[in-house]
Formats: sequence, C-alpha cells, structure tokens
Amino acid sequence: MRASLRRLLVPIMVTGLLATAACGSDEQPGGNEKITLNVALFGDFGFKPLYEEYSKAHPNVTIKERISDYAAHHQSLISHLATGSGAADIEAVEIGYLSSFTATPNRFHNLLDLGAGSLESQWLPWKWQQGLSTDKKTLIGLGTDVGGMAMCYRTDLFKAAGLPTDRDAVSKLWPTWDEYVATGKKYKAAAPKSYFMEASGNMFRAMVEQASTGVYDNADKLIVDSNPSVKKAWDLTVDAIASDQSAKLAAWTPEWSAAFGKGTFATIVCPAWMTAYIETNAKDAAGKWDIAAVPGGAGSMGGSHLALPKQGKNAQAAYDLIKWLTAPEQQKKIFKATGNFPSTPSLYTDPDLTGFSKPFFNNAPLGKIFTASAQAVQPQHQGPKQGDVFNTIGAGLGRIEQGKQKPDDAWKQVLSDVAKLG
Amino acid sequence: MTRRLVYLTLTGVLMLTAFPLYFSVVVASQDNSALSHVPPPVLPGANLFENIKRVFDTVPFDQALLNSLIVSGINTASVVLFSTLAGFAFAKLKFKGRTALLLAVVGTMMVPMQLGIIPLFMLITKLEWHDTLLAVTVPALVNAFGVFFMTQYLSEALPTELLEAGRIDGAATHRLFWHVVLPVARPAAAVLGMLTFLNVWNDYLWPLVVLASPENQTVQVALSQLRAGYVQDYSLALTGTMLATLPLLIVFGLLGKQLIGGIMQGAIKG
Amino acid sequence: MRTWLYKADTQLSPYLYISPFFLLFAVFGLFPLGYTAWVSLHDWSLLADEHAFVGLGNYAELLADPYFWNALRNTLSILALSTIPQLILALILAHLVNRPLRARTLWRLGLLLPNVTSVVAVVVIFSQLFGRDFGLINWLLESFGLGRIDWQAGVASSHVAIAAMITWRWTGYNALIFLAAMQAVPKELYESATLDGATAGQQLRKITIPSIRPTIIFVVIVSTIYGLQVFAEPQLFAGGGPNGIIGGPDRQFQTLTLYMYEHGFNRGFEFGYASATAWVMFGLIVLAAAVNYLITRRIRSSR
Repeated sequence: MRASLRRLLVPIMVTGLLATAACGSDEQPGGNEKITLNVALFGDFGFKPLYEEYSKAHPNVTIKERISDYAAHHQSLISHLATGSGAADIEAVEIGYLSSFTATPNRFHNLLDLGAGSLESQWLPWKWQQGLSTDKKTLIGLGTDVGGMAMCYRTDLFKAAGLPTDRDAVSKLWPTWDEYVATGKKYKAAAPKSYFMEASGNMFRAMVEQASTGVYDNADKLIVDSNPSVKKAWDLTVDAIASDQSAKLAAWTPEWSAAFGKGTFATIVCPAWMTAYIETNAKDAAGKWDIAAVPGGAGSMGGSHLALPKQGKNAQAAYDLIKWLTAPEQQKKIFKATGNFPSTPSLYTDPDLTGFSKPFFNNAPLGKIFTASAQAVQPQHQGPKQGDVFNTIGAGLGRIEQGKQKPDDAWKQVLSDVAKLG
Repeated sequence: MTRRLVYLTLTGVLMLTAFPLYFSVVVASQDNSALSHVPPPVLPGANLFENIKRVFDTVPFDQALLNSLIVSGINTASVVLFSTLAGFAFAKLKFKGRTALLLAVVGTMMVPMQLGIIPLFMLITKLEWHDTLLAVTVPALVNAFGVFFMTQYLSEALPTELLEAGRIDGAATHRLFWHVVLPVARPAAAVLGMLTFLNVWNDYLWPLVVLASPENQTVQVALSQLRAGYVQDYSLALTGTMLATLPLLIVFGLLGKQLIGGIMQGAIKG
Repeated sequence: MRTWLYKADTQLSPYLYISPFFLLFAVFGLFPLGYTAWVSLHDWSLLADEHAFVGLGNYAELLADPYFWNALRNTLSILALSTIPQLILALILAHLVNRPLRARTLWRLGLLLPNVTSVVAVVVIFSQLFGRDFGLINWLLESFGLGRIDWQAGVASSHVAIAAMITWRWTGYNALIFLAAMQAVPKELYESATLDGATAGQQLRKITIPSIRPTIIFVVIVSTIYGLQVFAEPQLFAGGGPNGIIGGPDRQFQTLTLYMYEHGFNRGFEFGYASATAWVMFGLIVLAAAVNYLITRRIRSSR
C-alpha cells in the first residue's frame, strides 16, 4: 500500500500544478541564451498549462516533460544517478525514495546554494525538512503536495451497526487510536460479517508517523526495536487484527477498488488524494461516504518533491522553474484543478482552500479537515531506508492477517529483517 | 478426432485468448468505475470515443507510432536475416569451434539482464547514442533466441542432401543460402519475425531509460504517461494500449495470409 | 585457383555468418557481463561514490540468506507448474492447427493474441479471475459448494495462479514455434500413417514429436531459461506495490528475479549484492538447462 500511495501522490501533486494562472512575482528576465529544461515525472502532475505560462514570461526557456509510472520512473532515475548521465534537469522524487537520496545528497544540486534558503517559511516545516540532508547542510528538493490525513467512513454501514453517522459525532468517537480500535470492536459486535478497516497497515503507519520519533532516531539509527511508539502502534494494530476488523485487502488491486463501492469495509485512512480515488471507483456509492478527523490528530501520507540532479547543466534556470512551480500561487491553481493538497501554509487561510467540499462526501468540508491535519503534523526525522522499513513491518502485519504467523513470531521476524536492512 | 471436435476445441481456445483483448475494449468504452462492478460488464459502453480523444490529447501518438514502427521494422528484418545466417552456419556448415560457439550462444540467454541495464546504459552514453533511436535499435539487431531457434529449425528441416547437390553443382555458400536455405527457412522466419516484432514493440523499461526527449519516444514509453495518473485510470490506460495494439493486429491481419502462405509454401517444399 | 576459392568459401563463410551475432554480443553483451561480475565482488551501492572490495562476501551472504533459498524454491515450483502444462498444450494445439482447416489464418493468429494483449489488460483480467471476494473462480467454487480460496495468501494457490497467467500468455507463442517446425515434416508420412489407420494421437507421438525434436529441445531450454527469470507476472499479481517486490507478506511467491530486484533497486540500491544474485542465478540456469537438455535428448530422433 505504502509505495503505491506514494505513487499516486506525486501525480496528484503534479496535476495540481496544471492550473497555473498569472505568473508570480519572481521572474527576472534571465539571459537571452536559449535553454531547454527537461522535466521527468511519474504520472501527470498537471504542470502542462503552467509551462506555457512560464515560457511566455521566459521566452528563452523551452520545457520538455517526460512522464512514466512510479516504479519505472524511480528505477530510471536511480540508473541515471548511478551512471552520472541521462537524468532530466528536474526530477520528481516521491517521499518513499526521498530519504534514500537525502542520505547521499551528493548527486543533487544543493538548492541552498541556488538561493532557496530564504524561501523556507513558505513550506510546512516538516515538508521543508524532508528535503534536507541528514547534516541539514544540503537541500535537494522543494515540496509539491502533501497527503494530509482524514478518516473516510461509510455512513450506511455505521448506521446499520448502531454508530453515529454525523461527522462531528464520528470524529468524537476516536480522538485516539485506542478509541478507534475500541469503536471497531463495537462495530464488529453489531455487524460481524462486515469489516471495520480495509487493511491494517495504514493504521500502523499513521500512528508511527504521528509520533515525535519514528523508525529512525535523529542520527539515522534504526530504533524499531527500542522506540515505544512503534511497539505501541504494532500492539494496537495486532489487537485490531485479532478482533477481525481488517478486510485484508491489498491496495490498488481491482478487488480493493471494488470494495469501496460494495461496502466491504467501513473506514479507511484517507489522505486528501484518496478522496478522488474513492469518488471515481465507487460512483454508485455517492452520499454513502463521509469524512471525519483522523485519530491522533494529524498526519501526512505521501507527497513529492522536485529535485535537480547534479548532472544537469542549467541549475539556475531549473531552480527558477521549480521555485515558481512550487510557489503558493501555482500550488493553489493545481489544487483547484486537481485537489492535490498544497504544502504551503499561507494557503491554509485562503477561503478557496478552506471552503473546499465535495458533494460526493455529503459536502464534507475537505478543505477544513485536511488543513487542520496538515498543520498539526510534527516534523519527524526520516532515515535512509524509511520506505523499506515500513514495507518490512507491513509485511509482518500481513503475515498475521493471513494467519501465517502468531504476532510474537511476526514481530521477531520483523526485527531481524529490519536489522538486516541496517 | 472428428473435424467438429477440432473446430470446437479451437473455437474454445480462440475465445480464451481473445477474451482479454475484448475485455480491454469493454473497459475502454466505459469509465473507470465499470471495472469495480461484479460481475464485470460484458458489453461495450458508450465512452469509447471520449476515451480515445483523451488518449490522443495526452499522448503524442503519431510520432511514437512512427518511432516504434521504425525500430520494430529494422529489428525484425535484421533479426530474421542474421539469425537465419547464423542458424544455417551452426546447423549445416562444418567449422572449428562450432559446438563451443553454439553453447556460447545459448549461454548468453541465461544471464538475467534486469541488472544489465546499468552497464549497458554506461556503454550507450560512451557511444553518445543516448536519446537516439540507435540506442534501442543496435543492441537488438540480433539475439541469441533467434540464432538458437533457427539453428534448431534448420538442423531438422534443411535436408543435407539438398546442400550437397548444390555444392556438386559448384554453388558458393552464399548462393546456397539465398537459393536453398532461405526458401526452406520461410515458415520459421515468418514466426520469428512476428515474435520479434511483438517483443520490440512491447519493450518498455530500456527505451524509457535511454530515450529522454518526447520526440524520440516509442509507443510503450508514450503510453506510460496514461498509467499512473492521480487516480489509477484503467479505462484510459486500456484505451491507450488498445490503440497501440491495433496497428499490430492490422499488420498481422494483412500480412497474416502472406506469412501463413509462406509457411505453407515451405511445407510443400519439405 | 578454383579450389583455393572453394576452400576459402567453405572455411570462412561459417565465421562470416555467425559474426553479426558475436560482434554485437562482444559489444553489448560481454561488457555488461564482465561489469556485473566485477561489481559483484564489491560492497557497491548505486548511489555511493566508494565501493569497497569484499571478494566473495556477497556470495557468502547470499547463500546464507534463507530468503534466497525461499525465492529459489518458489521459482522452481512456478517453473514446474507453468512449463510442463504449457509445453504439452502447445504441442497439442500446434498439432491441431497443423492440418487443412477453414480460416487457418484466424486460428493461427489467435494463438498469438495473448502476447499482443497489453500487460495491463492481463493484470486486470487475472486479478478479476483470482480475486478473493469477487473473483470468478471463487464464485464458481462456491456455487459447487466448495470454499473460497485466498489465492494470493497461500504458497501453493499463489503459485497456481501465477502459473496460470504464464501458461495463458506463452502457450500460443510456443505453439507457433512448434507449428513452424511441423511444417517441415513431410506430409507423406502422415498420409501413409492415415492409410495404416493411425489415430491423431499416434501420429503426434510417432511422427510429429520425433521429427521436430530439435525444436522441442529449443522450446524446453528457452522455457526453462525464461521461466527461471520470471518477473512481471508475480510482481503484477500482487498489485504492483511493495508486496509485489517481496512476493506477498510471507514472500510466498517471490521469485529469484524479484529477489534480485528487491536488493538492486530498493533497500539501499545494493548493486553489488544484486549482481552476485544475478551470477548465482546464471549458474543455476546453466544447471537446469543442462538437465533439461539431457532429458529431452532422449526423445527418439526421426533419423
């Protein structure tokens, strides 16, 4: 699920960019030298209309975009970084890969040297930090979108199980994850044939990402075995599995997509971009899905950055472009066109954003919910193999779900697998 | 087995093999939510033309189709020619080191190439072929699969007596190749050609790694931008792949008679 | 003069004819091979600038990793489940099509359709077929009073599902290859056999198979080689995410190539370790191909 989430995120962000309107204030007419900038993305980030706008203001700049899918994009990027040639001037990096690049930042231009230092306040602090190297001296990427989290739920299933259906009342059911799992038990007691959540991995991930420290400490040391927040998240998730709350669905399979419309499960952790997914795949279920707050208060899932590989020759011109693409005015246009949630807090008081709602979700105030969620996220240090660590733990939970292992054995195997990653 | 049973079996097989293709059309003509229906829809919907328009709006198809046609065409011709040449030599000519060299050919197929991408890319950069169609064409001009295939085919299908008769008439080896070997090789060459065309047409990761500019993209690379949009849009992705498959089916359909005719002709000679 | 020319022709022509392959291989094949061999002796992360020489360390680590052996077992099991039915079906299909039929082109091109179809369509279809909750096969099982199967979760069931995908995609392909070879079998053999009252099955066993023995050897060896490198099918079966890379949470269907990919392009991009895996795989494939060759060689030749 995780990698796939990331895969989706980036395109979302990009798509947002599409909607650019007037140019920002930052364009100084550069030299008259003709420059071609290549942009490599995974999925459509929606930049295309923005390029036209940018090229009008910078007639000497030609922009070429290359889009591929998540896995192929990153495999290709890694090959190009390793061999020192072939990369585009601007490359999108999904959060799942970002931390392995910030651990060895030498293959990217340091955006701080290109003048990014003064822009820091433009982004959410944690979004900014994700792009920083471990020693904080190198910035390799500027943030595009974020996946602020909420909890999507089926009102019809809640009603049938005797739970409240009003979104404020639902949010009050689960200020904490403990209460969320307790609600799940009540749900199962009332509707034993249905499931409370789609799969258990997202819940675990959300809990860990809400903690002040996650799977790495600030010195990039793996602390899966010693961080009490991780073990607590694990134990609570195991509890949810043991009470048969998980539908055990593998994300992005057609089976999973169908389940949204069929009402196989009642809740799903919902980053902003997930709402579009539900809307497209469960057209017949309009009005049945609603959105409440996520337990634990906040969190982000997915999101991307734009980075400049060092092999690119036009660093300054490329920097000017990504600075413009990620500026609030452009992020807002993208958001309005695609729903990708901006990473720039100055927009969080903008009525365009906070007033955003969707009829499909009973007019739930998505803008308000996701803003609150994104603002409350605490910056957490991400280590070099962040994505692999979460995948390893996710596999452990999967083994329990599939009845392959007892929780204690699964945990032991997770610890030894994680140690091998070290 | 009675004739009726044969036709019945073949019809069943055809339905099995054609179903996914038909299903692509069904999904391409609906919207994404159609996929989530259980049971899945069996009849095409009304969205086909809208989806086709969306694909053409997103993907620069004409240039990509042309590029793919060039690359696949050249590689098909060269693989067939070079494989038949080498297969002839391995199957019927005597020379020192034949067995060892043939083993080397087979051995080269055994190396898992997923990792070869990186050294191969270094090489292409050194040759300054990066972002040109040469990078996808030249390394695929001939392959071990073709050579081995032709060797095995000719070793059985090409009567040694025919060659000896030619030799007695004083024909040089290249004349034997054009006048004796090629006609016998036609059925295998037709099949090898089709398989090669398909493989090159469908290749994705390597072209993606070496071809940077949109104007150099092959069809599969161009199509990949339909794949991982914000929402996994299967109906759009399947419309795209259907449009990319269409030229293949047309080519095979049109040439099919010729190709199959070629197969039969070879058979009569045998 | 004439004899000299003749000698030069017969002695040099073979080398000339095989030279395109070997020239191309020398440039585009040998270098990657040698390079990965060299890399496999290092602790070589793709993004690091320094690569420490570790000798055979990567190999020792690989052979001590139970997940490697697990991947090997999975690969062999999927290989057996897919290759054997695939080749038998392909032979029978080719035999059926290799006779005077109406609409011959239609049947033959039909064999190729699974290879023409896009991978995306294949994935969607097969996930639908083998779906746990809404899949067609489980629906059938249930209507016959049998239980549902969580195809992805089990070791055997996931191997069967993946083998079904492989068989579906490659049977027609192999049938076409067999068909090409069958075209060269003299028709008189069949005619006289028919006069003697031999059935279609007897003709297949007594005439066709011995006559196309070299092609059978070819198909068996090639299927073994490609079968041991199977990658796309298991990866896509799991929905393409992280579960695809490790082949399910319990690695129940991780193949060797997926294992190599997991280490090479995830987990710190351990190119050295992945290269060592590639070379061990190479050794295994040589072994498997040799064994299969020895088995197939026992088919009685027609000559």
